Amino acid sequence: MAMDELDLLKKHWQQKEKDLPKLSYNEIYKMIWKRSSSIVKWIFYISIIEFVFWSVLSFLLKDMDYMQRFESYHAESIIWPMTAVGYVILFYFIYQFFMNYRKISVTNNATTLMKDILKTRKTVKQYVWFNILYMFISGFVVVFIQLTYDEEIKKIVDEATSKGNETMFYLVYFGVMAVMLALMACLILLLYRVVYGTLLRRLNRNYEEIKRMEV
Amino acid sequence: MNKELEHSFVSELEKNQNIIHKVCKIYTGDEDSHKDLFQEITIQLWKAYPKFRGDAKFTTWMYRVALNTAITLYRKSKRDVNTQDFESVVFKIKADDYDDTEEKQLKLMYDAIKQLSDIEKALVFLYLEDKDYTEISETLGITEVNARVKMNRIKTKLKTIVNP
Repeated sequence: MAMDELDLLKKHWQQKEKDLPKLSYNEIYKMIWKRSSSIVKWIFYISIIEFVFWSVLSFLLKDMDYMQRFESYHAESIIWPMTAVGYVILFYFIYQFFMNYRKISVTNNATTLMKDILKTRKTVKQYVWFNILYMFISGFVVVFIQLTYDEEIKKIVDEATSKGNETMFYLVYFGVMAVMLALMACLILLLYRVVYGTLLRRLNRNYEEIKRMEV
Repeated sequence: MNKELEHSFVSELEKNQNIIHKVCKIYTGDEDSHKDLFQEITIQLWKAYPKFRGDAKFTTWMYRVALNTAITLYRKSKRDVNTQDFESVVFKIKADDYDDTEEKQLKLMYDAIKQLSDIEKALVFLYLEDKDYTEISETLGITEVNARVKMNRIKTKLKTIVNP
C-alpha cells in the first residue's frame, strides 16, 4: 500500500519541479558575498566572549591577596570612575560590533557592503587600541595608588630617601612596571592579532573580491 | 579565488539550482527557512568548490554537499515548523489537479516524511529523485547494501505512519 503511495509521491515530486523558485545569476552571486556577514558575526560574538572572559577573570581574582590588599587602600574614588568609564566604552564597542553585523547581514548592494566592511575594520582597530591604551592608563593609575596609599611601599620609599637612594628606587620601580606593562601589551596584541587578525584578513579578501566584481 | 572561478561556479549553480531547492523542500517547511538553507548550501558549495576537481559530475557533487549541509550544519531549531505550514506553503496542491483521495494520500506521505530522521529524509529524497542504489550509496557515503536495507526500513516505517 505505502509502496504505491511512495511512487505516487515520486510522480508528483517530479511534476512539481517546474514550480520550484528560480533565482537569477545575480541573486546567487550575492549569496557568496554573505560570507562577510558571518565573519562580522564572529567578530561580534568574540567581543562578547572576550568581555565575559575578562569579567569572570577579574571576579575570580577578587579574592586574591594582592587584590585584597589593593582594596585596603580605599582608593575607590579613583577605581570606580575608571572602571565605569571602561565598561561604558566596552559596551559602546560591543554595540558597534552588533550594528556592523546587522548592517552587513541586510546589505544587498556591493558598494554599501564594501563601506560596511571598511567600517568594521576601523571599529576592530579602534577597539584593539582602546584596550591597549586602557591597560597602560590603568597600569599607571595602579602605580600611582600604590605609591600614595600602600604603607609598606611608603616605608621603603622613606628608607630609600633617608639613604639618598630615592632616584634609584623610582628608577627601578618604574622600570619594572614599564617592562611588565610592555609585556602585557605584547601579549594582548599577539592575542588580538591571532583572533581578530584572522577574521579581518578574511574580511579583506572578501573586500578585494567584491571590488574586483564591481570594476 | 578569481573571477573566472566565481563565474563558472555561479553559472553552474544557476543551471542546477533545482537540486538545492528540492533539498530545501524536504528539510524545511516555510519560505524563510527555505531561503536560509538555500543560502547555507550555496555558501558550503562555494567553499568546497576549489576542491571540486570534476572527478564526479557537478550535480552528483551538489547532491552530496547539499545533503551534508542539510544533515550536519543546518540547525534543527531553525526549521521546526508545524505541519500546517509544511502543507500550505511548500506543497500547494491544486484541487483540480488531483482527485480527493490522491491529494489526501500525498499530504499523508509528506507528513510522514517530515517525521523521518535527517538521514532517512536524505534517502527518501534521492529515491524521489529517481537515483539508483549505486548513486544513493555514493552520494551518502554508505555501502549499496546498507542503502537498500535502510530504504526498505524507511518504506516500512512510512507504511506504519500512513496506515497506523
